[in-house]
Amino acid sequence: MAVIATMLFNGLAYGVLLFSMAVGLALTMGMMRFVNLAQVSLAMTGGYLVVVAMPHFGLPYLATLPLCFVLVALLTMLLERWVFRHFYGADDLTQVLLTIGLLFMSVAGAAYLFGPSFRPMQVPDWLSGQVPLLGLMLDRSRLFLVGAGATLALALFLGLERTRFGAMVRACVDNPRAAGACGLNTSMVFALTFAVGGGLAGLGGGLAVTQLVIDPNFPLRYLVYVLIVVSLGGTGTVIGTLLASVLIGIVDVAGKYYMPQAGSSLLYLITVVIMLWRPNGLLQRKGMP
Amino acid sequence: MTPHEHSYFQPSTRWNRWEIAFWLAWAAAYFIPGTNLPLLTHILVWGLFAMSLDLILGYRGIASLGHAAFFGIGAYAAGFLAKFGWTEPLSGLLLAGITAGLTGLLTGRIVRGLHGVALLMVTLGLNMMLYDAAQRATDITGGDDGLQGVALAPVLGLFRFDMYGHTAYWYVLTVAFVLLVLARALVRSPFGLALRGARENPLRMLTLGAPIERDAILAFGLSAAGAGIAGALLTQTTQFVAPEVLAFQRSADVLTMLVIGGLGRLYGGFIGALVFVLLHDTVAALDPIYWYFWIGLLLVFIVTFFRQGILNTLDKLLASRRGEAV
Amino acid sequence: MTLTTHLAWRKALCAAVLCACSAAATAQETIKVGFLMTYSGPSGLSGQMADQAVKAFQKRYGTSAGGKTIELIRRDGTGPNPDIARRLAQEMIVREKVQLMIGPDFTPNVLAVAPLVTEAKVPTVIAGASTHGIIGEKSPYYVRTFFSLPQVVKPMAQWAYRNGVRKPFVIVADYGPGHDALNAYTAAWTEAGGKLAGSLRVPLRNTEFTSYMQRIKDAGPDAVFVFLPFGELGIQFMRAYADSGLKSAGVRLLTTSDVTDESQLDAAGDASLGVVSSGVYASSHQSPLNRQFVADFAQAGKAPRPGVGTVAVWDALRLIYDGVAAQQGRAFDPDAFMAFARGRRYDSPRGALSINAATGDINQSVYIRRVERRDGVLQNIEIEELRDASAK
Repeated sequence: MAVIATMLFNGLAYGVLLFSMAVGLALTMGMMRFVNLAQVSLAMTGGYLVVVAMPHFGLPYLATLPLCFVLVALLTMLLERWVFRHFYGADDLTQVLLTIGLLFMSVAGAAYLFGPSFRPMQVPDWLSGQVPLLGLMLDRSRLFLVGAGATLALALFLGLERTRFGAMVRACVDNPRAAGACGLNTSMVFALTFAVGGGLAGLGGGLAVTQLVIDPNFPLRYLVYVLIVVSLGGTGTVIGTLLASVLIGIVDVAGKYYMPQAGSSLLYLITVVIMLWRPNGLLQRKGMP
Repeated sequence: MTPHEHSYFQPSTRWNRWEIAFWLAWAAAYFIPGTNLPLLTHILVWGLFAMSLDLILGYRGIASLGHAAFFGIGAYAAGFLAKFGWTEPLSGLLLAGITAGLTGLLTGRIVRGLHGVALLMVTLGLNMMLYDAAQRATDITGGDDGLQGVALAPVLGLFRFDMYGHTAYWYVLTVAFVLLVLARALVRSPFGLALRGARENPLRMLTLGAPIERDAILAFGLSAAGAGIAGALLTQTTQFVAPEVLAFQRSADVLTMLVIGGLGRLYGGFIGALVFVLLHDTVAALDPIYWYFWIGLLLVFIVTFFRQGILNTLDKLLASRRGEAV
Repeated sequence: MTLTTHLAWRKALCAAVLCACSAAATAQETIKVGFLMTYSGPSGLSGQMADQAVKAFQKRYGTSAGGKTIELIRRDGTGPNPDIARRLAQEMIVREKVQLMIGPDFTPNVLAVAPLVTEAKVPTVIAGASTHGIIGEKSPYYVRTFFSLPQVVKPMAQWAYRNGVRKPFVIVADYGPGHDALNAYTAAWTEAGGKLAGSLRVPLRNTEFTSYMQRIKDAGPDAVFVFLPFGELGIQFMRAYADSGLKSAGVRLLTTSDVTDESQLDAAGDASLGVVSSGVYASSHQSPLNRQFVADFAQAGKAPRPGVGTVAVWDALRLIYDGVAAQQGRAFDPDAFMAFARGRRYDSPRGALSINAATGDINQSVYIRRVERRDGVLQNIEIEELRDASAK
């Protein structure tokens, strides 16, 4: 029983990790119809910021996280202004090609700036080891991840549903022309939404460093997982992405324990089955691409 | 066909000078001294693969992120045939194509009715599962090390597959040409028109009584057969097949090449393959470590200035020059 | 111009042309060596480190041997892509007319290229693939300076048995070499008279190890033998192992040098301390030749320490230089080179090595090492040596 509970928890933590990296993509895809595969590159940037800033500037881990968000959000804003803006109306394949090109450039760029090897990461003491909770021995780093992810999801959801800015974003997406006619600065709203999405990816990357290895090929390794999470969750919904991420996390972890001979195929099988059953994502939200 | 229909199809069935020049250039390339035959053969295989994807993506609007599955099925089919004694290349090629085509029909049936993200993810998922299976079944496929003992008899009993790649070049060029002629006839036929109609306005086609679902499945099967033949060509000319033929990277690359070259033109696949592979090779030789950067930049460049792909953009330019309405 | 000056010009011109011709005739002949490594993608580090080894070697030993200039022609195989490797090898042989080759790396590439080098008679030194049975069995022109998997797995199993392990759990990556490692370990273990506590296969694209750790705990072993390819899998495994509590419970972690390669120890950090591995090269090896090699290497580029792939490239160059020098004054003869290489013994920074006369595969010392922190740096410290281990 303890084994199953621990496994569920580990799956939850893994899912939350995927959620933090993927939620930005789900938002920009659902809300702006923009397929930004370079999202994983932004996550990698966040990861590198943490593993480089910590030893270089002597910053504690917690301090680097908001830094990740802000810096990567700024970077995304620049990207949006210089590059993405010109492709808003373009069809999906064009956007895919564009962002894949950016992804390749980021892989080579990271190799050039930081070298091709894997980055060592000094996990801070308060995140190492395990702590007894509810009769189980749970990893501290995973507990932190789950906590951070839950806070993130809540903040996002409330932000979109309850704040004025969230309402503006939803209005701009539903009908940009009408929103503009009402006096909303649509280009600013889009730019800010993009920035938030990118910052979230950076934050996700920063959170991921305790679990995953950061190296220049990071985007290539995790692109498929992020795509799976976003498509299963249904684009544009925070809850959907969270559900999908947690589902994938638990299926992956449990599957590897109970059916190790299935290997990684279990994940793809689940993806195929769910997509055939619910083509618009788990929550079947209408009107999503 | 009535005289009216005949005259509608006639101009598009005539071979224009660009097409003739294209194929003559490939034939002439053989005789240029110092030409890199293995590279050109490689480009032709990719071009054929991309053309097969064009059939469903360009002409029918079905986006597949798992086309390498059919390429790989054809490749392994040809490999197994050769390994177990069926060394005649042409018949092996045909059988491999049929195997892939049948799988394509089945896949088409599974994904009928899906669009957009769901379609991409299902095709991707199926592709990844096949790749995983091929890699892990080391007893059957040899796994990562590849299939051993693939030996091919000489083509038509006369032309041995040699180290310099002479036979391979003509073999692949001829097969590519034949398949293009077939595809060309297909897209200019009423079936091809029906596909394009279903891409533009499925509802209208339904009201006309067109069996769009059956057409789409058939197109999928034909496209898969083409991809399978391309895969079989790779196996036969290299006498080797490894799980890499099924990898996601391959699906992504062929999609990239096709979009670069231009959708819906059959030749877009070849042009895209030419540009992509040549540039990849040149850049990789110049900067083996960071060539990824330049390829990424190339993609961004192409997407910015050749929005519809190279061929379509060129076509628009030429048409506007001539003052025609586009 | 007058007639006399015109004649003078023509004489000068003839003299100049004659000088140029004779200069060309006495100019050094060039031996082209194809260098097919992986420079990009997930395994790109190995190619870059190989380049650094080449630079270090040429700095010490120059760029010519036996009166001939050695010219390396580099190509990026981009990883285990046999169709690309084959095409590049074909290009190098047919267009660049290479007479020797180092590489390719990865077993599928080696297998795909074999018929080419046999037909073209190009002696090829394999410096980056470890499957058994791919050298002499596939081409009479293949020689290996790397290691073979059974060569390092068997001693690890034997050491484990000698040191009291009785219930090992074996966990390998789910692909060809992983299956080979599992078979090699099981065979050696059964031969020693033991039984496995269990075994598992892990997918190559894996990010989460907690389920596998739980499985291992369920089986209650006293040691774990793991085989994973170079790359992030090994790093993640060592970290997960330390986190899982197995390490602190005293269950020893045994592995091969693929997991504890010098380029990966720092990324794994303290999680790698105490891991015992078997390998043919450690940068901490105490010999004058190795100390010189490590110093040369560090000065030639960005990577701080060499690994087994690097020393394999170094030894490949040594073999090629020596083989070409042995044919001084004659045109290059590939069969004479192979006769020279097969059976050759020499000292390498790793220790003594010899090329098996029958198969072209490598015989060398296999070391059992433990990861320790020395001089503030994580190192593989050799604790035992098995001399002249065969590649089988």
